[in-house]
Amino acid sequence: MRRDDIPYSMPTTNRPRNAGSAISDDASRLDAVAKVTGQAIYSRDRYLPNSLFAGFIFCPYGKAKLESHASEAAKKIPGVVEVEISGREGQYHGHTVGHVLAESPEALRRGLAAVACKWVREPVRTKIRDGELAEPSPNAKTSDILAKADHVLEAEYETQVQTHCCLEPHGATIDHKGESATCYISTQGTFAATDGLSDAIGLPRSKYEVICEYIGGGFGSKLNGAGKEGVLAARLSAGHNRPVYLFRTREEDQTDTGNRPSGLARVKIGFTKDGTILGGLVQKFGGVGVGRGGGGMSFPSGRYNLGDIQSDHDDVRFNGGAPRPFRAPGHPQGAFCEELMLDEIATKAGVDPLALRLNLENSGARKEMLELGAEIVGWKNRAKTGSQAGVIRRGFGIGSAAWGSGQGRTDCEVVINRDGSIEARTGTQDIGTGQRTTMAIMTAEAIGVPLAFVGVRIGSSNLPVGPGSGGSVTTPSTAPVMAAAAARAREQLLTTIANLNSADASEFDVKGGEILRAGKPFMTWAQACAKIGGEQIVGRAKQGEGERGKGHSDGVQFVDLRVDTDTGVVYVDRVIAVQSCGRVICRKTAESQIIGGVIQGLSYALFENQVLDRNAGSMLNANMESYKILGPNDMPHIEPVLWTKGATGVRSLGEPPVVPTAGAVACAVFNAIGTPVRSIPLTPDKVLAALAGGGA
Amino acid sequence: MNPFSLARPKDHAATHALLTGRRFSLPLLKGGGMDVVDHLKEGLWKPDVVIDTRHLRAPGASAPISKDGQTIRIEAWATMSEIAASDILLKDAPCVAHAVGSAASPQVRNVGTAAGNLLQRPRCWYYRNEQFQCLKKGGGTCFAFEGENKFHAIFGEGPCYIVHPSNLAPALCITDAVVHLHGGKRASLPITDLYHTPDKGIRTEHNLEPGEIVTHITLSPAPVSGFYAIKEKQSFDWPLAFACAALQLDGSTIRSARVCAGAVAPVPWLLPGVDAALKGVDLDDDKALRAACAKATEGARPLSQNAYKLTMLPVAVRRAVLMAAGKKVEA
Ligand SMILES: Cc1cc2nc3c(=O)[nH]c(=O)nc-3n(C[C@H](O)[C@H](O)[C@H](O)COP(=O)(O)OP(=O)(O)OC[C@H]3O[C@@H](n4cnc5c(N)ncnc54)[C@H](O)[C@@H]3O)c2cc1C
Ligand code: SF4
Repeated sequence: MRRDDIPYSMPTTNRPRNAGSAISDDASRLDAVAKVTGQAIYSRDRYLPNSLFAGFIFCPYGKAKLESHASEAAKKIPGVVEVEISGREGQYHGHTVGHVLAESPEALRRGLAAVACKWVREPVRTKIRDGELAEPSPNAKTSDILAKADHVLEAEYETQVQTHCCLEPHGATIDHKGESATCYISTQGTFAATDGLSDAIGLPRSKYEVICEYIGGGFGSKLNGAGKEGVLAARLSAGHNRPVYLFRTREEDQTDTGNRPSGLARVKIGFTKDGTILGGLVQKFGGVGVGRGGGGMSFPSGRYNLGDIQSDHDDVRFNGGAPRPFRAPGHPQGAFCEELMLDEIATKAGVDPLALRLNLENSGARKEMLELGAEIVGWKNRAKTGSQAGVIRRGFGIGSAAWGSGQGRTDCEVVINRDGSIEARTGTQDIGTGQRTTMAIMTAEAIGVPLAFVGVRIGSSNLPVGPGSGGSVTTPSTAPVMAAAAARAREQLLTTIANLNSADASEFDVKGGEILRAGKPFMTWAQACAKIGGEQIVGRAKQGEGERGKGHSDGVQFVDLRVDTDTGVVYVDRVIAVQSCGRVICRKTAESQIIGGVIQGLSYALFENQVLDRNAGSMLNANMESYKILGPNDMPHIEPVLWTKGATGVRSLGEPPVVPTAGAVACAVFNAIGTPVRSIPLTPDKVLAALAGGGA
Repeated sequence: MNPFSLARPKDHAATHALLTGRRFSLPLLKGGGMDVVDHLKEGLWKPDVVIDTRHLRAPGASAPISKDGQTIRIEAWATMSEIAASDILLKDAPCVAHAVGSAASPQVRNVGTAAGNLLQRPRCWYYRNEQFQCLKKGGGTCFAFEGENKFHAIFGEGPCYIVHPSNLAPALCITDAVVHLHGGKRASLPITDLYHTPDKGIRTEHNLEPGEIVTHITLSPAPVSGFYAIKEKQSFDWPLAFACAALQLDGSTIRSARVCAGAVAPVPWLLPGVDAALKGVDLDDDKALRAACAKATEGARPLSQNAYKLTMLPVAVRRAVLMAAGKKVEA
């Protein structure tokens, strides 16, 4: 099926609440068909003629010394080109200590096996609690608050390590052609990927291009310059003057390409009988593996008035892979602790958790969202925490998020060709948010033509500079600039027509793909474009132009679930996600972004967990079978509600929807069973232990 | 993965010849081939020939699932999807259809075969990892015992604590199933003799001799039978504990019961104590039913991380019993 064979627009009748909220109410993702039919070429699909294949040698244990290896024997395996051992020690499972280069993927595997590393294991630490944790040290003010409070909540909240699980593993194909090079990298930053590349490839930035047309999952871990993979592939390609293909195996991707770090928060919070929070101590630990930094938790988040909080943080190191940014770094783990803590306080004080939040909420917008969400989910049906009997108990919970709107360096071009075709260009990449679609919609709207007139080019460092996809800035950065560039191209076209008719450009307009003069049909788009002098019109704009999104993107989520108290299994039935993102460009991709965030948040709340063997430090579930990710039967009904009240400009939407979910699930489980489970994932064994009074 | 030949012998005799002849030193049978490929990818097995068996037809084979008088027959090559959707099984032995229909994912069930399901190897994550030379692979330690054993056995004397992975086997254990063989000294083996506990041989789970090929399975009808599994994830996940129950009822009173548990022991775990306790229980007396099912954990010895299975197993048994009787279960 070709893209042209399906209509650009497909009606969306299911979510009436969102109808009319977006610039385009019915556009489908431009590259949907390419993606589902396999026509979309990902970097990992770039098998080039005459290519060599490279792979890393890595430590399979948490800590070990490389006693011996058979790299000389491995070099003799037919098809093996090069074996290099560069390290003698592994500090975590996945720690790379060398590489093999071979003529084929099969020869590579045989070569890697033949290296036959002999490792001598050493004792490991595999989690935060294996470290020496500082004792809580409340200062005088905190001690005073805690002494005066009617109640003090003392609790420990724990979160696990979550891995990114990109369907397309990390990697690159580098094609060095002597004088120039093409670099196909699975990256969240076509421009950022040039960091570290010039040296490795031995060419100036002007002589090579980074291409990433499609990326199979980018949740933060692919914002790492060219990555270890790109740098090594570049060096090898330059050295051998042949294309080099280097993509991680699933085991490596699960251990050596970053994660959402684990967290431990010990709280002592003082509050009054009526639930007024006075403040207290939040002592946090981030489990960063061998990383230096990156273990922060956004707790307290600043969304709620929690009085005077003394917040201490330490990163704790152990024998695990280092964290990397992961969709809203630090936020879901912080929100889990904060929301569950609020519900525990509310229950103790005998206050409804919704009422408590309405009282503590610092944002008027989120208060309104809370009220709307409560109405949709049917909060009035919520039974009091701990009041239910029976095997199946229902629970409701709330979570929230706020996200600022940054912008990254962005230049955009809109080209109008003499044949009438339009091209929107910037070099940024699409990590799955619908970059092509939003660019096309902004361009079509600004010019006044149907969406089908616009083609999009992205994913190349030879195009005008575009932002890296981190911090949810890609759409907020590109959309206004795209619109400004399109308006400029339109102006040039209308000036051309006006000049030919010895009239003033202000008499002309474009609507629905037709040129109007004084409001009346004057000529078709094709006729107008045929008059373009030279080959084409190019409208350009840069960062700072166009209407910038201001303020926060806010979100609240409501979870409605059931707990089977005989088995401990949690069944999530509904998630209502009220979310603002400024002006909505494309309704479907915006809704899909929210739904995707909720799914990832549920998966984090209920299932995902990196399991390191306590003795050897090896990740035992370095695959996608025993590393558990939410599947179709675990999907609740998810209702994204687009909140556009007072919207100006385009704001962030990528990360915020993943923030509230785990906290909302934990609150709902507490509401259902009457005992908090203070550790995610909320697996049946933990729920049963809580029910049995074994604590959280 | 190492290079290997793929063979498609014309009949069982030719298959047996390949398995026992000199041409290949490490022959390996495959049904759907999923567990075989997993082992090849993990570097655990290095066969020189993989022998496909799905096209082999035993005498009398017609449909993947058939019934002759009071004997139900499942061919070795019947896919899990076929078993799960079989009208014969859904009516005459629903525990078998439901147990298999609950396993894995639709994609896996479309490929996995009856014989392959019975003979698949355990999922212990140390066993599946090339780096851990555990007892089962000829090494000196069970890494699960002092390691991550949340998904391991609560029954058995060790020294290996796998749970048997098959959903089908426990259902067959309560339906008097017989596994029919070609190529050995015997023509068949009762399902309850197919497996052995680790203390009787740790390297394998089953009692087939080299060269023996499963041709088909026969079983007796158990129209009042049911299955219930408790899983963390409802898609594509292995059960934490499950049970199959076959009943004879007198109204709502249990005249006799046979219960077998899965995912709790290195072999399908028959529960004679529960069978006895269920006798005479009125299904509408939930207190009595729960008390009888509580017997399921007698003799269990959980490891450091799996005591939660002690709570789950009686629940799985109770719900399997209720399912068998066509009663509603909570979830
Ligand atoms: C993610 C996932 C989840 C799963 N969950 C479950 C689950 O919950 N419950 C469950 O029961 N299963 C589950 N499975 C396992 C799945 O059912 C098995 O992979 C499948 O049953 C194996 O069938 P196969 O035909 O592919 O076996 P194969 O890989 O072909 O064979 C398995 C073994 O049987 C031997 N063999 C095959 N045919 C014969 C024969 N005729 N005679 C003698 N030996 C033979 C082979 O030599 C091999 O050792 C899961 C699998 C996956 C991947
Ligand atoms: S349970 Fe069995 S298979 Fe697993 S590590 Fe122990 S001996 Fe090996």
